[in-house]
Amino acid sequence: MAAADSPSTALGRCDLCNRGIRLAGKMRLDVTNLLDTYVERQGLDASASVAAVEGVPVAAVERWDEQTGTQRLLENLAAYRAFRVLLAQMLEEQREQLGEADTALSRALAAVLLQVSAFAYHLEELLRLENRGPPSEEGAEPPPLPQLSLFERKLRGLGVLRELAQWALRSARDLRQLAKASPGSDSAPSPPDSP
Amino acid sequence: DSHIQYERVGADVTMKCGSMDWDAAVTWTANGTDIDESHLNGSYLILKKVDLTQSGQYSCYEGSSWHLKYQTYLRVGTPPREPLLMCRSNNYPKGFYCSWHLPTPTYIPNSFNISVIHGTREMVCEKDVFPKNRCHIRYLQLFSTVKYKVTLTVTNALGKNSTTLTFDEFTIVKPDPPENVVAKPVPNNPRRLEVSWQNPSSWPDPESFPLKFFLRYRPLILDQWQHVELSDGTSHTITDAYAGKEYIIQVAAKDNDIGTWSDWSVAVHATPWTEEPKHLTTEAQVAETTSTSTSSFMPPPTTKICDKGAVVGSGAVAVCWTAGLVLAAYGVLFI
Repeated sequence: MAAADSPSTALGRCDLCNRGIRLAGKMRLDVTNLLDTYVERQGLDASASVAAVEGVPVAAVERWDEQTGTQRLLENLAAYRAFRVLLAQMLEEQREQLGEADTALSRALAAVLLQVSAFAYHLEELLRLENRGPPSEEGAEPPPLPQLSLFERKLRGLGVLRELAQWALRSARDLRQLAKASPGSDSAPSPPDSP
Repeated sequence: DSHIQYERVGADVTMKCGSMDWDAAVTWTANGTDIDESHLNGSYLILKKVDLTQSGQYSCYEGSSWHLKYQTYLRVGTPPREPLLMCRSNNYPKGFYCSWHLPTPTYIPNSFNISVIHGTREMVCEKDVFPKNRCHIRYLQLFSTVKYKVTLTVTNALGKNSTTLTFDEFTIVKPDPPENVVAKPVPNNPRRLEVSWQNPSSWPDPESFPLKFFLRYRPLILDQWQHVELSDGTSHTITDAYAGKEYIIQVAAKDNDIGTWSDWSVAVHATPWTEEPKHLTTEAQVAETTSTSTSSFMPPPTTKICDKGAVVGSGAVAVCWTAGLVLAAYGVLFI
């Protein structure tokens, strides 16, 4: 029979979940503000449709309510690790475009990048608490920057930020589901006792 | 040979009497009433600039034999104007519904067709039995950045019209108002009111998708509302109520993260606790009591035999049990 979680583990998970929910909420607010700044500074139309961008983790999910806690954490972690790379690339592009000028947009991008990194770390902690070490990032090379025109890069950035905003929303919901689940419910069902 | 004929308001309508020649002698009736010959051109019936009152059954009879040669039901109406369409999710994350109506009636039957597209996927909008102008869609995906496109087409015999709505999953989320709002005074607190409510029953999972609330209250005598936003819990204590004043209180709900506020709940009324007036102890009060006792009849205690509560039976044969026992005791003594 699988060992039940100790009360301290359950409390630790609950505490991490609640902090994660607050982090995700703050991140979502900041990403929303960043989106407004980005659209304005890049001269884009806020309602512009952006086709699915290659390499950007999509927050949309089917049968969301059927996911296990571990699935939720793994998918979230994979997403935020990808966003960490994507935002770093966007920041780099910004700096190349505008030189070393510390613009409001660059500062906002950097701030969100920091939150994304912190959130990824938070998810790793949660996974450790689930007795599942986070998957290794070693050897994972960031995807090469696609050769895009300036306008295409701007649209790509819009797609990245929109998807990140959805992820922040999803993460808060995922962590609430995790906090709601009883301890040990994500463990694989134990095999029946042999006769 | 009877059929239905649809014509626009204001149109000129010409009705032929079936296969009868133009110069045949015929009689036309409208809802059984003969139509004056001035409306005829030969055997054709001419109706100029028809209006809604001219809807009805038109019949044509051969002149001499009164054989029915042609019958039609004329329905005068209008083609549909652009319909009004709205979509809303009051049960997120289960799905959303769309409802529609025409801004003006057409006076003839209409049919509605709705299509819902999410990206490249066409989704099924299941029509409600009641009301008939509504259908609901289940979310197949959550957290999508791809917009939904809903197109409603209304068609009748005189034309068609359509409208399209495009929206994100999260913009149409609007819960129903909170339910069972209760407001009570707080004993010994003349400036407090305790308000409690419940999540709308249509909201499927408030634990995973918590709601926040907006409470508004004002004394009936003032127009200005006070507002309080509450991020958790389904109760609140108002601590700044005016003593003794009746208040009106309402609550609204919103998903913590997305969408818009619900409509306001049903209003409840409550008045804060007030202290009961104490008994007066001044000389004036004593004098008042004396004057009160002399003005109303009070039988002196010594003449009171029975307690009112001990009397049973009708007024005519009322027996006072206490007096009865005393009399019975005397009776026993003398036997």
